[in-house]
Amino acid sequence: MMAEGSRLYFAVTVLMCAFVSINGVGLNDLLERASQLSDKLHSLSTSLTNDLDSHFPPVGRVMMPRPSMCHTSSLQIPNDKDQALKVPEDELLSLARSLLLAWSDPLALLSSEASSLAHPERNTIDSKTKELQDNINSLGAGLEHVVHKMGSSSDNLSSLPFYSNSLGQDKTSRLVNFHFLLSCFRRDSHKIDSFLKVLRCRAAKKRPEMC
Amino acid sequence: MRNSWAVLSLTFIANLISQAAGVSPPGKPRLTSCRSPEKETFTCWWEPGDDGGLPTTYALYYRLEHSETVNECPDYRTAGENSCFFNKNDTSLWVNYNITVVATNALGKNISDPVEVDVVYIVQPKSPENVTAVVVHEDQGPFVKVLWEKPRTADTRSGWITLLYQLRVKQEKDKEWVEYDAGRQKYYNVFSLHPGKYMVQVRCKPDHGFWSEWTKTTYIKMPDYLPKERSLWIMITIFSVFIVLILIWMLNMKRNSVKLCLLPPVPGPKIKGFDKQLLKSGKSEEIFNSLVIQGFPPTTDYDDLLVEYLEVYDNEQQELVLDGKDLSEDCIKSKSPSDCDSGRGSCDSRTLLLEKCIEGREGSGSDQHQYSQHGETSWASTESSESQGPEPSSPESVDGRVKTWPIVCSSPEPQPYHHYQAGSAKPAYHSVPEILSHLSPHATASNYHQLHHQDIPPQEVLFSKPACSHSQSYNQFNLDGSDTPAHGVPPSRSLGYVEVQRVNPENMLLLRPLSDPNSELEGSDCTGEDYSKVKEVTSNNILFLQRETSHQCVDNYSPDLDSQADQCTSQQPPHPCKPAVHQSYSPMPEEGMRVMGNGYVDSTVLMPSY
Repeated sequence: MMAEGSRLYFAVTVLMCAFVSINGVGLNDLLERASQLSDKLHSLSTSLTNDLDSHFPPVGRVMMPRPSMCHTSSLQIPNDKDQALKVPEDELLSLARSLLLAWSDPLALLSSEASSLAHPERNTIDSKTKELQDNINSLGAGLEHVVHKMGSSSDNLSSLPFYSNSLGQDKTSRLVNFHFLLSCFRRDSHKIDSFLKVLRCRAAKKRPEMC
Repeated sequence: MRNSWAVLSLTFIANLISQAAGVSPPGKPRLTSCRSPEKETFTCWWEPGDDGGLPTTYALYYRLEHSETVNECPDYRTAGENSCFFNKNDTSLWVNYNITVVATNALGKNISDPVEVDVVYIVQPKSPENVTAVVVHEDQGPFVKVLWEKPRTADTRSGWITLLYQLRVKQEKDKEWVEYDAGRQKYYNVFSLHPGKYMVQVRCKPDHGFWSEWTKTTYIKMPDYLPKERSLWIMITIFSVFIVLILIWMLNMKRNSVKLCLLPPVPGPKIKGFDKQLLKSGKSEEIFNSLVIQGFPPTTDYDDLLVEYLEVYDNEQQELVLDGKDLSEDCIKSKSPSDCDSGRGSCDSRTLLLEKCIEGREGSGSDQHQYSQHGETSWASTESSESQGPEPSSPESVDGRVKTWPIVCSSPEPQPYHHYQAGSAKPAYHSVPEILSHLSPHATASNYHQLHHQDIPPQEVLFSKPACSHSQSYNQFNLDGSDTPAHGVPPSRSLGYVEVQRVNPENMLLLRPLSDPNSELEGSDCTGEDYSKVKEVTSNNILFLQRETSHQCVDNYSPDLDSQADQCTSQQPPHPCKPAVHQSYSPMPEEGMRVMGNGYVDSTVLMPSY
């Protein structure tokens, strides 16, 4: 009886230690991983934009809506470094997550429309768009873990609805709207990336040389 | 209407005048680039157009995307000429700036094309700072460690900007730089550099942005060094072990010879040519036989051997035939000159044989005569079958050895004496051992020489005179098969000499009966008392001597015998050459002896057979 009790006590101790150790180390690695994903996300969107710009009709630029017309422009974000560094981590995290969440629907639309774009590089665009979608999903899942790690509640996510369900009627407007949506996403992905990297360096007390 | 016409004409004239004067409104400026070094401020540069000959001012105006307010550049000086610097307060991220430049001079102004700028996309940091390179010495060899610092303004500590570094290395003589990516760390170890002077440069890039400029070159001298010799020693060790193994293996292969070299065996007593097995077998004859040296006395030439008649007997009445005059010169000459050198004692030794040159031989047509003088010693040895070696030559025979040689009677023709059959030219002495060795397998007679008869005209077979005492040894003439049946020994044959025609390489004496027309007696089988006539030759190479009982032959042969006797007297035979009528022969019947026709005994069986 004594042996069984001591054995049980020992097992619980080991498990707790493991749990704590995993948790303690995990945030850094999680944020590192999230930063890498967001970096990839932004790089993909940049290359997509370049592909689109290679054969973009000049008239489209005239038709292009203004960037303030992005559906995520209503989100209040820090505009410069001083402001950004003052924002607490969980708020930064929720901002990042909100932005990420706001783009899941539009990206679905984009990937469905990519194959029928009136663009010579639509195949490349199509594959990259799909990859973009995958990245967003995995980043979202990773950020969920980070939230759990950090202990912040997931309630204060801003809702940024996307109402359009088609890009346009004619191919030119579709192309233009595609381009516009993509440019909005490029910017937002940069925001996400920046915020996560700030979070990463804030949590990396064990490895200050990387920041 | 008249006023407008006047205004227009005045303007036109003014333009013409101004053009003639060389002044014009400014050209269109152009915004070249805008850059932000740390994602907190940014600067825009423009390129002025043609100033039109008049002082022109430039003004930059910008408008944020979400407002309609047009602002002018707050700072034209900080960044230099034709630039506009936006400080922290005026910089907003993730916002598009619509920037234009306006050139103004007295005559007009010009507006550049607008440019949309988002600050976060135009980040280009300054170059890294404090680049240092040091040589670090380690066991594996020295390497270069390059250290640098981030650009002063970039705030990487908070994570606001993330910088990735890159360095490049080159020797002065090289054409191309070698680039290394250092990631986010601020140091880098460069290995595998050759000794010499190296140039090092570093630059950096934000995670999404433009590369900075390269730093100024930092020089580092790579020292001369010898690579760690550990690997060399390992190679040497392995190589030597390998060689040692090979040597050991070789020694192992040659184990026996090495042992022989180091510990030579003590030779035991050994008689050359002696077979120990014979001792064990216990047969004395074989032992004795083995003691016989084969090939001794040494013969240099098969053809040297020649025995015309071979008879040895130990008669006391042996005479030395000293006078060789009877001998035909040809007979003498026909002897091989090498006889003397053969060491068989043939030349100088006393011969046992009585040479008898039948006079008739001169008339015979036989061509090949070979005379051989058979050393007594050899014959003597045959008797005993023990003694070997030539007897010491008699000094007398040195000079006149030719003459003292008993001449084996051969064909009557002198001429042919010179003729030697090809291949068997010279008379050769047949050493007894050789003969014995030939005889031994036959086991018929030990002391008998086998003489192959070849081309012997079937007239006569001349025997050596056994006259004095019938020797114990007879020549055993083996008449050649082809001739044998024809003319083995015609019973009518009286005395006849067999001349050794030649000796074939098998040490066989080829005999030929001396053709002696004079003495030829057809149908006469008178052989005389002292001579045995070969009756027949068996297949066993046995000459059957015919015993003659009639004495008729005596008379017939007497002239021949006389000549023979005369010749014989010139010899030094162990047994006297006596006329055929010599009756000294006393048959010695013994067991196994065949008593032939005329009372002669075939003593072929007397000697133990080998």
